[in-house]
Amino acid sequence: MELKQKYVDGIPRRDFIKTTLKGGAAVAASPALLSHLLSCASPAPDVTLSLDPDMLNRTLRRALEKGGDFADVYVENRISRRIVMEESKFKSGVFGISQGAGIRVISGDKTGFAYTDEISEEKLLRAAEIASYIARGMPYTAPQSVKEGQRESFITVKIPLQDLADRKRLDVMERANEAAMSHDPRIQMASISYYDEIRGRTVANSEGLLLSDALPLLFFIVQTLGVGDKARHMSRERLSRHSGFEMFDEVSPEQVARTAARESIAMLEAQDCPAGKMDVVMENGWGGVLVHEAVGHPLEADNIAKKVGAFTGKLGQKVASDVFTMVDDGSLPNMRGTTNFDDEGTQMKRNVLIEKGILVKFMTDILSAKQIGMERTGNGRRQSFRHIPIPRMTNTFIDRGQDDPDGIVASTNSGLFVKSLSGGSVNPITGVFNFTCREAYLVENGKRTTPVKGATLIGNCMEIISNIDAVGNDLAFGPGICGKGQMAEVSAGQPTVRIRGINVGGSRARG
Amino acid sequence: MDYRGLTEDLVKRCLNKGANAAEVYLVAGRGLSIGIRNGDIETMQETSTRGVGFRVMVKSRLGFSHCNDFTDRALDSTIKSAVAFAKHTTPDENNVLPEDSDMTAVEGLYDSRIADVSMDEKIELAKRVESLAMRDRRITKSSGSRYFEGENEVFLANSNGMLKSYKASSCGFGASVVAEKGDQKSTGSEYCSRRFYEDLKSPEEIAPKAAENAYAMLDPRMVKTQKAPVIFDPDVARALLGGILSAVNGERVLQGASFLRDAVGEIIGVSQLTIIDDGIRPKGMASSPFDGEGVPTQKRTIIEQGVLKGFMYNTAIAKRAGVASTGNASRGGFTSLPGIGAHNFYMAAGEIDAEEIIRSTKRGLLLKGVTGYGINAVSGNFSGGASGFWIENGRIAFPVKGLTVAGTADAMLNGIDRVGNDLDLNRSLAAPTFRIGEMQIGGE
Repeated sequence: MELKQKYVDGIPRRDFIKTTLKGGAAVAASPALLSHLLSCASPAPDVTLSLDPDMLNRTLRRALEKGGDFADVYVENRISRRIVMEESKFKSGVFGISQGAGIRVISGDKTGFAYTDEISEEKLLRAAEIASYIARGMPYTAPQSVKEGQRESFITVKIPLQDLADRKRLDVMERANEAAMSHDPRIQMASISYYDEIRGRTVANSEGLLLSDALPLLFFIVQTLGVGDKARHMSRERLSRHSGFEMFDEVSPEQVARTAARESIAMLEAQDCPAGKMDVVMENGWGGVLVHEAVGHPLEADNIAKKVGAFTGKLGQKVASDVFTMVDDGSLPNMRGTTNFDDEGTQMKRNVLIEKGILVKFMTDILSAKQIGMERTGNGRRQSFRHIPIPRMTNTFIDRGQDDPDGIVASTNSGLFVKSLSGGSVNPITGVFNFTCREAYLVENGKRTTPVKGATLIGNCMEIISNIDAVGNDLAFGPGICGKGQMAEVSAGQPTVRIRGINVGGSRARG
Repeated sequence: MDYRGLTEDLVKRCLNKGANAAEVYLVAGRGLSIGIRNGDIETMQETSTRGVGFRVMVKSRLGFSHCNDFTDRALDSTIKSAVAFAKHTTPDENNVLPEDSDMTAVEGLYDSRIADVSMDEKIELAKRVESLAMRDRRITKSSGSRYFEGENEVFLANSNGMLKSYKASSCGFGASVVAEKGDQKSTGSEYCSRRFYEDLKSPEEIAPKAAENAYAMLDPRMVKTQKAPVIFDPDVARALLGGILSAVNGERVLQGASFLRDAVGEIIGVSQLTIIDDGIRPKGMASSPFDGEGVPTQKRTIIEQGVLKGFMYNTAIAKRAGVASTGNASRGGFTSLPGIGAHNFYMAAGEIDAEEIIRSTKRGLLLKGVTGYGINAVSGNFSGGASGFWIENGRIAFPVKGLTVAGTADAMLNGIDRVGNDLDLNRSLAAPTFRIGEMQIGGE
């Protein structure tokens, strides 16, 4: 059984947002300071405490006291739960609470940053002073007084995580475990990881912005180990959304588990993969991580501002084939890469980056937007209050095309059909990328045939987007974790696509 | 703040709130990072952080919680959460805490002088390494240089009466630069990190390497898909060692998720292959007097002349396997439960010069960069993107990019036929230059 998260497939986007919004109340709770949350017995009710705006104003004034153009304060409190089930046992439960504030000063191209774990005026002022070090002697910009603002919400919750009994969390894990272990006797081990969090955020800056929200996040991972006579294969399936617990009503834990188990069994028959250049058909969904790495990272504006990025100077130019349109959209309802505003307070929206082969936009944060003279696109994100915001992707995908997915395979004489990727990386300056396939098949005479193991895909971002010659009509997404010195939750998506002539690293010669 | 006293006291509070056994892991530290680009400060970050993790057992059920708010109310509430969470986990008699009150003496983990070196000197160091690297005409752009430092103090106490602490520091610097020629771009970087400030290499030594790593890869050529010898540079040690490290994780072994699960006492590689896990090396970047749950560290041979000697364990997994902990409980800070991990994990040096290994290779690949995940710990399969230099008649002929290399752990470990004498133990995962007689290389 196939599992695909077709959040936007087949429904016009605006209608989809309306439909989803009707389903439940938008999350509007202000963040709560930890100690206030803690004073309440579990389950914690909605807490609507906000920070004293005057304290934030005094902090911003202190941050710009020595000079500088811009300052912001980011206050975060996060409550998380992680439960692991392995070998049919609940092995561990981890409950975490984390709070703190990061203060940043920008002066020209310079950034100063400091953070504090303790949210008191004294500590905020001290951090502001440290962050202001880089702006000594620079012209002074007086901060605007902060004023509470509003942003459109793209995240809806029917079953709030904070009211949820732990038993419900354990139930979905047991259901997944049962489904995985009963799928086939060759499934010898299943590992189920459940994570949820509520991240309260307050962003205040010297432009007078003051925003608060609380984002729920669910991340559910099933790994299964298939054991055959000669081979072993560990597979993985993930499900993640910024939403309430109703996520499991829409995609059942059993579905997630069976998807992982199916792959573990299918790959037990895998043969060695041939090495060399071949045509590659990538199945719709998480395969979009290939363009996330190969094209998305090089389109983040920080390396463009430094004039070192692979796409430097290429704005407005034809960089890809006509069938290729790439989008980053942090406003797709409830998806893993979605937020209401980015971690600098910029409204999330749909950003078309490459339109029918033409490079039209880079992804910016506040600093790089200023440096390259482009709009703020809502891509200023940070792992936590301990990190500086930098340009990051949200939900990034190849837009839907015209081709029939089955027809794409049928019209491929020989090559590789890639069903799932473990992940990969890119050098954003040279554009050189690599991917490791987890589940892949040979394509022979237009048919998917033998599963093959140990395939790596490598290439250059410029080549790959010029060599995409077929784009399916079956756009789908998968959730992932993106690392760029700090972690961010993202989704990657694509319809089924064909890329001509990728270098595939296999363990045997072709023949 | 008296963290030592607090740590000990928190164990009692865990027991008072219903835990039968408890461990408190508290970390307090600070850090500094200075980023330079084009001769000026680009980023400056100063951080100080602290936090505490509670591992509690309630009738053999495990619960864990962490927080970074040190008010009494927050600490008590976090402990309660761990105890409450423990009610949901499956009882397991292997959930025990270590008792050993000893600590291994490890010299040179903490340099109190790092904090005394002036900010200006640190900024100057990062500026200098960038300007020296940019001095080469082939280098066209800087993608930034950096100085960084950090220090941490770890406090660990448990209800078996254990109370230990240690301090550790690290610092480092380096540069990343770009070489351009026509439409070609090539990036190169070089960094150095040490426990002690005075042990850092000079910018004069680091900068030319960063530049060379970039320009030497200009004008790459493609080679045909073929089988050929592959020489692993010390920079790509992780490609081989990473998979072995995961495969000797005692928990993976018990779960059947390791290609080495049945191989203890057996020959798994050539006799030149010896791999060591050393937790006690003086000034080692991954050394510590005790592991992530307080068990004294040691120096252990994992593979001795091709024979697999044993796996790595923490206390709970060791009990389950019926052996003693090997002092390999790893900890990703105060927010996580102890897992299993290595200390300074390295392949022992051989006797040949690296140059001699190249000279004795008629035709093959000198591997300087590998992308991908290295050896898959479950299946033993290896496949990655490769870059480096092509060797013809014992000499570096031209740079190569966009190749792939693939094989299996079995073939690789048994195919090692030259081991160099250039082991640099300042890296936590290290190998000398070594050669594998034949691997599948994917090209055109």
